[in-house]
Amino acid sequence: MGERLVVVGGGMAAVRLVEGLVGSPWHVTVLSEEDHPPYNRILLSAVLEGAHAPDALTLRSQEWFDEHGVDLRLGTRVEEVDRTAHEVVLVGGARVPYDRLVLATGAIPTLPPIRGLVRPDGTLHPSVHPFRSLADCRRLDAAVAAGRRAVVVGGGLLGLQVARALAVRGVDTEVVEGAEHLLASQVDPAGGEILARDLRRLGTEVYAGARAVRLHPRETGGAGLRLDNGHVLETDLVVLTAGGRPSTALARRAGLMVRRGVVVDSTLASVTDARIHAIGDCASHRGRVTGFVPPAWEQAGVLAAVLRGEEASYDGSRSVARLRATGLDVAVLGEPTRATGQVVEMSNPVTGSHRRLVVDGGRIVAAALVGDLSRVGLITQLYDRGTILGNAEPGALLAPERVDLDPAAVVLPDEAEVCACAGVTAGAVRACASYDDCRERTRATTGCGGCVSVVRSLLTASA
Amino acid sequence: MTAASTSTTTTHCPYCSLQCGMRLTGQRLPTVSAWEEFPVNQGALCRKGWTAAGLYGGRERLTSPLVRDRRTGEWTAVGWDEALDLVASRLREIQAARGKDAVAVFGGGGLTNEKAYSLGKFARVALGTSQIDYNGRWCMSSAASAGIRAFGVDRGLPFPLADVEETEVLVLVGSNLAETMPPAARHLDALRQRGGRVVVIDPRRTATALRADLVVQPVPGTDLALALGVLHLLVAAGAVDEDYLAARTTGWAQVRESVAAWWPERVERVTGVPAEEVRALAGLLGAPKVMVLTARGAEQHSTGTDTVLAWINVTLALGMVGVRGAGYGCLTGQGNGQGGREHGQKADQLPGYRRIDDPAARAHVAGVWGIDPDSLPGPGRSAYEMLDALGTPEGSSALLVLGSNIVVSAPRSTHVTERLEALDLLVVCDLVMSETAAIADVVLPVTQWAEETGTMTNLEGRVVLRQQAVRAPAGVRSDLEVIAALAERLGSPVEFATDPEEVFAELGRASSGGSADYSEITYDRIRDEGGVFWGGERLFAETFAHPDGRARMVAVEHRGAAEQPCADYPVHLTTGRVLAQYQSGAQTRRVRELPDSGAFVEVHPMLAARLGLVDGEPARVTTRRGSMAAPARVVDSIRADTVFVPFHWVGANRLTHDALDPSSRMPEFKVCAARVTAAGGGHG
Repeated sequence: MGERLVVVGGGMAAVRLVEGLVGSPWHVTVLSEEDHPPYNRILLSAVLEGAHAPDALTLRSQEWFDEHGVDLRLGTRVEEVDRTAHEVVLVGGARVPYDRLVLATGAIPTLPPIRGLVRPDGTLHPSVHPFRSLADCRRLDAAVAAGRRAVVVGGGLLGLQVARALAVRGVDTEVVEGAEHLLASQVDPAGGEILARDLRRLGTEVYAGARAVRLHPRETGGAGLRLDNGHVLETDLVVLTAGGRPSTALARRAGLMVRRGVVVDSTLASVTDARIHAIGDCASHRGRVTGFVPPAWEQAGVLAAVLRGEEASYDGSRSVARLRATGLDVAVLGEPTRATGQVVEMSNPVTGSHRRLVVDGGRIVAAALVGDLSRVGLITQLYDRGTILGNAEPGALLAPERVDLDPAAVVLPDEAEVCACAGVTAGAVRACASYDDCRERTRATTGCGGCVSVVRSLLTASA
Repeated sequence: MTAASTSTTTTHCPYCSLQCGMRLTGQRLPTVSAWEEFPVNQGALCRKGWTAAGLYGGRERLTSPLVRDRRTGEWTAVGWDEALDLVASRLREIQAARGKDAVAVFGGGGLTNEKAYSLGKFARVALGTSQIDYNGRWCMSSAASAGIRAFGVDRGLPFPLADVEETEVLVLVGSNLAETMPPAARHLDALRQRGGRVVVIDPRRTATALRADLVVQPVPGTDLALALGVLHLLVAAGAVDEDYLAARTTGWAQVRESVAAWWPERVERVTGVPAEEVRALAGLLGAPKVMVLTARGAEQHSTGTDTVLAWINVTLALGMVGVRGAGYGCLTGQGNGQGGREHGQKADQLPGYRRIDDPAARAHVAGVWGIDPDSLPGPGRSAYEMLDALGTPEGSSALLVLGSNIVVSAPRSTHVTERLEALDLLVVCDLVMSETAAIADVVLPVTQWAEETGTMTNLEGRVVLRQQAVRAPAGVRSDLEVIAALAERLGSPVEFATDPEEVFAELGRASSGGSADYSEITYDRIRDEGGVFWGGERLFAETFAHPDGRARMVAVEHRGAAEQPCADYPVHLTTGRVLAQYQSGAQTRRVRELPDSGAFVEVHPMLAARLGLVDGEPARVTTRRGSMAAPARVVDSIRADTVFVPFHWVGANRLTHDALDPSSRMPEFKVCAARVTAAGGGHG
C-alpha cells in the first residue's frame, strides 16, 4: 500500500470517503472544482432561508486536510482520465498519477427546455438561478430582497425547500411543476394536493401540470415566464430546481460503462476498470442512481473499507428523504409510489395530513408521510431495521397518539397511588384529618413533593 | 462512640448519592425522622429513606462468619479468628503458588471513604496485588472519564444541587431522578415555579418526564447523536458563545466542524426523535442559563464517555460551564459513588484521585503509607475485565468482595457467575446472605450504615458524616476491622487503623495535593458546616483543572450500540431502577415496608399486541447471553421498539451486554438487542 488515491470531486461523498481513510496508508489527493472546502450541500436552502449560518456549512476545513496529509486542490477541473497511463489530466495539461481513482463528481443541474433561458452568448439570463452549489446559493442570496418576485421551476424536494426559503425571506414566490402534482416522484396525488394547499395557505401559488416554455426579458430587468397553459408569470427571479443528472462526461470519455451513472459493482468499482471507483450521485449500482446523501455516505463508507483492505460490499441503501422546509412536513421512505405490497393509508384533508405505508410480508417497505410527522421517528426505525410488524400495527402507527387526560379532572379511586415516594393511596390520604396529619401518618408529600397539590385537593374534597 | 438508648443522632440515608440527612432515634427499633437543617434534602426523604431502619436487627442479618463446604454446599458458623486465619492462609497459599495478582479485590461505591481508602491500601500494601476495582466502574465511570478529559477533574456536580433552581433550562439526559432520588425532584418543581423549563431525554416517559416541559424519547444508545444534532443547530443559529470559547476552551474548531454533518433530519433517522423535536430542544437552549445533567441512561454504554463529552461540548459551546446556575454535571448513582472513586479502589488510582502510573503520585502516597514506592503495583484490570478473567490462567483465582453483589449487578451475569464459581477462593463481606455471598467459600458478617461511623461524598462533592446511631449486633465487625485483621495476618509491613476518624485523617494526608484533596476536611468541620465540599462549593468559575486552565473540547462521533436489533433479536432492551428498590436489592428487598414487586417487562401496547403479550401475564426476554421471564407491564410511555426491565432482581443482567467503553471500561448496561415472547405458564 502507500499508494496514490485520487478523488475527483470535493462534495459530501468525497469528504466522507477521505474521513474513512484517515490513518490508512493511502496518499490521497482530492481534486475539487469548487472554490470552497467540502461543505454540507443539503443545508443550502436553510442558508438561503437565513436559518443556518453560511460559515457553519464547512464539513472539513483546509486545515483538516492539511493535518491529515490529504492534498486538497480547490478550483481544479479535470479534463481527462488517461486509463493507460493511470493519470488524470487537469485543465491546462498538468497530470496527476493514480493507483486508484475515485469519481465522486456528483450531479449537475438540468436546464429545462425553456426558450430564452440561455442567451445567445451562452450565458444564463441574469434573472435565472440554478440552485446546486454554494456559489449558486450566494448569488441567489445576493439577489433576494423582500418584495421581489420569484418563480421556482420544479416542484420536487429541492424546489419546495427553496420556495419556502424564499417565501420566509419575504419574496413573493410561485412554483411551477410540470407533473400533475407536487413531489410527483415521491407522493401520490392526494399527498401532492395537500402540499399545494399548504403552500397556498403560506402564500405561495402552485402551478402543477404546467411547463414553463419561454422566458421573456423585460426592460425593467425582470422577466416574464410563459407557461404552456398560456399564463405568463411576471418575476424578478427564476430559480431552477428541476432536477439534475449524474455528472458522467469524464467517465464516458474515458470509455467506462455508463448508463445513467457510472456502472459500479458491489465494491463500488467500475465494471470496466477495477482501478476506478465511483460513489455518490454519479454512480449507478444495480441500475439505480440515488441522488441523496445517506446512500452516498454508505457507499463512501464501504469504499473506504474496501480501500483499507477490509471485507466490505455495498448492497444498496434504504432511502429516507425528508423535506426541510419551514411549514411543510414531508417524509418519504423508499419509493412509495412504486413499491409493491399492501397499502395502509390514512388521509385527513380536514387537518391536512395524508400518510401511506406500503407493507410487504409485515415489513414497511415504503412510506409517504405528508402533514403529520408525529410518528416519523418510530416509522423510520421500523423501516430501516426491517422490523416485522403485527397485523394491527401499520394501522396503529397511523392512528392518533393517545391524548392524556387532565389528571385534575379525574376522580381518583381509593386504591390509586397518589404518592409514589411513600406509596400512599388516595384512600389513605382521604382518611387523614389534615395536611399535617397526612404528612405525619402517611409520609405523603415528604419525598419528591410532586403530590402536594393532589393531596391537598383530596383533603379539601373529603373535608 | 455509642449512643444512649433514647438519644437522637443525625446521620445519612444508606442508599443513593443524594445522601439525605436524617435523624435516628432509639436502639432496638430505631425510628427515622426528618433532619430539616441538612441543606441537601431539608427533611425530605423517599420511602426507602423512611424505612431504612427496617433492615436493622432483621432475622436475615448475618452475625457469624460462615464457611461453606464445597462438596456438600453446607454452611458452618465459625469464630472470627478461625475465619480470618482460614482466609489469610488460603490467600497466602494462592499468592505463593501463582503470584501476587492471583488475588483480586472487588469494592463498592456504597463503601464509606474510609473503607474505600483502606481497601485500596490493603490491596496494594497487604496483598501487593494490582487487581482491584469496584462496582462504581459500572456506575458513573463514563462521566468520570469524560469530566477528566474535558475539565481536568471529575466531580459529579461541580456545584450544589440546589443551583438547579437557578437555571433557565434544565436538560436531564438519561436520568429518572423522580424515582431514583425523589427528594431531588423538588428542585425541578421549584425551577418550574420560577418559570424555568425542564427537558427530559429518556426512551421512557418516566415519573421525571411528568415534570418536564419537553420530553424527548430517543432510541437507546443514541443520546450522542442527539447532542451532535443540538450543537449543529446552535452553531447554525449563531447561538454559541464565541468569546467564551476563545477565552476558556481549546478544540472548538474541530468540534464545530464535526457537527456540520448532523442536520436535524439525519439526527431524526439515527435517534428516532422527530426533527421538529430536535429543533424545539435546540431552540430552548438559547436561554441565558442552561444546565445539562447526565445520568446512567446516557453513560452506561460502550459509547458512554463520548456521549458525555458531546453534552459537555454543548454546555461549553453555550459558554455555560463555570456560570452559576448553569453548566454540566453528572448525577452520581451510588451512595458514595463520588468518594468511592477518589481514594484508590479503582484499578488505575491512588488516593486523592491520583494516577497509579504517575511516579510523583506513587512517591507521595508511598510516603504516607511508609513503604517503598517501587513496592506499589501498577494499574490492574477494570471491573468487568477482572471478573471475566477470574479462574483463567491469566486471571486471579481468589477474590475478596466488599460492598457489592456481583451476581445481580454484573453485566452478562450468567457468565460472570460462572467465573466466580471457577475461583479457588471467594470471600464476601456482607450484612446479609446476598446472591454473591451465597456462592462464596467464606462470608464475613459486617456492620451496616447506622452501626458505624464514616464519611460519604455525595453527588455534589459534599463530604458528609454518617454517624453511628445504634449498636451493631453482637458478632459482626466493621469492614475496617476485617481489613486490619486480614492485613495483620498477611504480614503487612504497615498497620491498618480501625477507627474511622483516624483513617479519615490518614486519607486526608494521602489525598493532599491530589485532584480530590481532603486534607483540610475534618469530622468536626463536617458537623459544623453541614458537609464540606472538596475543591470548594463551585468549580470552574475562573479556571479549569488542566495545566493551561482551559476546558478541552473533544470532537466525538456517533458509533451506536455494540449490538443492534436484527431478525432474531428485533427489539432494544434497556434497564433501570424503580423507586422502592436500590441497586441489587440486597438491602431493600429485605425491608418489609418496601413493596418487593419483582421484575417486570415494560412494553408498549403496539409491541405487546404484535407479540401477544398481556398486561400482568408472563413475558420472556431473551438475548444472546441469557433469558428471563417476568410479568409484562403494558404502558404507552415507552418507545414501541424498546422494552425495559428493572435490574434489582436476578435476571435483567443475564441479558445485558458486556461490550466496554474504550476509555471508561463501562459495560453497555443500557442497551442490547432482545427477543420478547409470551412466556405462558410453566416457563417462568
